[in-house]
Amino acid sequence: MATVKARLGRVTLLRKRLPAPVVAAGAWFRRSGVAAQILTLVIVVAVFAIGTRGKYLSWANIQVILSLAAIPAIFAIGLHPTIVLGGIDLSIQGVASLCAVFVGLLLKNQFNSNDVGLWIIPISIAIGGTAGVVSGLLNTGLRIPSFIATLGMSWILYGMAVYVGRAVNVQILDTRIEKFASSTLFGVPQIAILAVVFAAIVQVVEDRTRFGRYMYAIGGDEVIAKQAGVNVNRTKIAVFTVAGIIYGLGSLLLACRLGVATSRMGLTLLFPTVTAVAVGGVALTGGIGGAKNAALGALIVTALNDGLVLMHVSPYIQQAVNGVVLIAAVALTIDRKKLGFIK
Amino acid sequence: MSLGNGASRDSILALRGITKTFPGVVALDGVDLAIHRNEVVGLVGENGAGKSVLMKIMIGLMQPDEGTILLEDRLIALRDPSEAIRNGIGMVFQEGSLVPNLSVTENLFLCHENGFSNAGFFSLKSMRDAARQLLAELSLQIDVNLPVAEIGPALRQMVEIARLLWLSRLYGRNNPVLILDEPTTVLADKERETLFAILRNLRKSASIVFISHRIQEVIENCDRICVLKDGKNVTEMAASDARLLRIEQLMVGHSFSADRFHEDDQGTGGGKEILNVQGLGRSGSFEPISFTIGEGEIVSLIGLVGSGKEEVCRCITGLERADTGSISLDGRRLSMGSPSGAVRAGIGHIPIDRRSEGLALMMNVAENVNLLVLNRLKAAGLLSPARERKNAQHWVTECQIKTPSISTMCANLSGGNQQKTVISKWLSSRVRLLILDHPTRGVDVGAKDEIYKLMRRLAKEGIGMIIMCDTLEEDIGLSNRMLVMKDGRLVKEVDSSPRSKPSPQSIISLIV
Repeated sequence: MATVKARLGRVTLLRKRLPAPVVAAGAWFRRSGVAAQILTLVIVVAVFAIGTRGKYLSWANIQVILSLAAIPAIFAIGLHPTIVLGGIDLSIQGVASLCAVFVGLLLKNQFNSNDVGLWIIPISIAIGGTAGVVSGLLNTGLRIPSFIATLGMSWILYGMAVYVGRAVNVQILDTRIEKFASSTLFGVPQIAILAVVFAAIVQVVEDRTRFGRYMYAIGGDEVIAKQAGVNVNRTKIAVFTVAGIIYGLGSLLLACRLGVATSRMGLTLLFPTVTAVAVGGVALTGGIGGAKNAALGALIVTALNDGLVLMHVSPYIQQAVNGVVLIAAVALTIDRKKLGFIK
Repeated sequence: MSLGNGASRDSILALRGITKTFPGVVALDGVDLAIHRNEVVGLVGENGAGKSVLMKIMIGLMQPDEGTILLEDRLIALRDPSEAIRNGIGMVFQEGSLVPNLSVTENLFLCHENGFSNAGFFSLKSMRDAARQLLAELSLQIDVNLPVAEIGPALRQMVEIARLLWLSRLYGRNNPVLILDEPTTVLADKERETLFAILRNLRKSASIVFISHRIQEVIENCDRICVLKDGKNVTEMAASDARLLRIEQLMVGHSFSADRFHEDDQGTGGGKEILNVQGLGRSGSFEPISFTIGEGEIVSLIGLVGSGKEEVCRCITGLERADTGSISLDGRRLSMGSPSGAVRAGIGHIPIDRRSEGLALMMNVAENVNLLVLNRLKAAGLLSPARERKNAQHWVTECQIKTPSISTMCANLSGGNQQKTVISKWLSSRVRLLILDHPTRGVDVGAKDEIYKLMRRLAKEGIGMIIMCDTLEEDIGLSNRMLVMKDGRLVKEVDSSPRSKPSPQSIISLIV
């Protein structure tokens, strides 16, 4: 059997020509799954640092980028598990709008006498989670493609939000969450720290729990996962539920930061969130990419837009740049072997 | 039943009188199979002999209609694969059953991570260590963090074997039964040797069922060989007593009646040349090959999976691009790698999987028949419903497609009539050369006969055909000439005239 060992060991032996630490560091960097994203970020930063003659690298600007990236990152962390499954969740705008309306009407405001205080956190979780469960049930129970099930859900929820919220702007008078979000800890915006903690928790769940492992197995090959014993439907429903919960928390933060809750709040969220997830390297074909990718994607997109603003690029051109970035990111990450036809 | 050196040992798994029927076909007819401790059993038979159905029953993917399964003399029922693995029976599938984006470690323990879990969180380190140890038992040293998509087919098989061993150990089975379905077809020579070395080592603590089309390697590496033919046990023998020729004879069975393939209607096929293939080659698939096909000639391409015959056909139909050589039809050179160019030139392709590739199932018979000739059915620039009806009706009658009406959805037709619809689609477009990839697969006996008749008539009308059939007998019976391929090379051209058909045995010895 010694010969067998030698023969099969050759694959690993090939790599031993370089010094071991270099190989190990290279392998770790490659295996980390965020190598390309970190390189992209470095390039974006370098380009704008030169383009703005260093203004881009000022601590004040970095603080702006970090605090602006936090909420998109949280939304992206919510969206990406549904893409890892091989599906997608387009319900974010509806969930966020409905949640924002409830945040406005339940926290202390000038329209009614409600004041639930920090109970708003579990309430947001419940609203988002319920929406996610319904999306998951539509996807698994009625076997509707997630793309359509969640698109429909988005408009159902948005309709409810407009009906309940009467399309008025509600000023939020309870500023505790806003104060937490806009404060800094050792100069770092606390909301950015919150996003990082969020990403870390979700990443650990993905790497080290059965739920996470099953999610990736389904994204890799649903049939094989099922054969191996994965409860596919239960995992899918759980993924959509988690996504909904995170949207709920994200829209709570967003509404508090804006200080105004309105049913229109969600309407611009889908595009930047999908862009962030794609730029982060989460493959639209499923099975690849984690919370760290989603968060980094949001950071890259925010850093890019911040730089464009600093360089006084027209906002319309900025939008076009974002479109190009989305398509380019998908082109680089999609696994075309998995797609029979591009529809 | 047991012969040879298996007779004295006690059996770990015994299948008795297994019968399985599908609509119109008896896949297994009272098959017995005993697997003893610490042995490698070779299972051989032609395509369609029932090997894969038998295996699926052994791992609980299918239920037998009749018969019993005994594990260590205890009656068991296997309702699904997970129940089979709990009983220590597992299979390494040809197409693989690992999730490509997960790492080796993650795949090894997928769905059985409990032992590595602490308060709901995995210990990644202990998983990796266990994976390394498990693979070391098979004398494998691979990076267990690599995604399975990045390791070769040989290592993937080893990982699957390791997973099965680990699972059977987890369920307390000390002598697992591992089924390997044609594991060597995807392996290079060296990897094959490695696999056999590992199997010999494994035999000390497991039983192995080895399925392969390469009879020689079965003889060399198994203890006992079972031959299946048409869903029945033919014989079993100790591998030490086995001879290649004898097994081939058993696999193919006895002679068959000459008129089954309407050989009296077979033309001489020496007509004007239609297709001329010169030095066609595609690196990694097949080496340069040259041949011609004349008017009304049926030429059969013969070879195992991986012999390159499928790829040759895919190059002719333009689905793949050849690296070298040329293809000419009626003296005009075709552009390579262009399916639409091939269709325009008059090359028709009847694919193996008509349900997904040959027919638009959700369209009706008329729409399918007219699909390629819509230009001819126009009146004043728009499609004329009257002409569409007329053309469809003509071909439905001509090819005797049994359908309630020309507006019946193709999904509702029987397999044979679907196949006739595909053929009439090509006939309608005045095709010159037809490539028929397993034209009678999944078709019942009566419809087979009608397809044979249709092929004979097409040949009379001067259409050239390349065929790849389900069985060797069909290939021999239908063709005028056979091109035998092996490992990407054209090894021999065999004449198959009506009065002097070669014997299946002589062909089998060429392809394996």
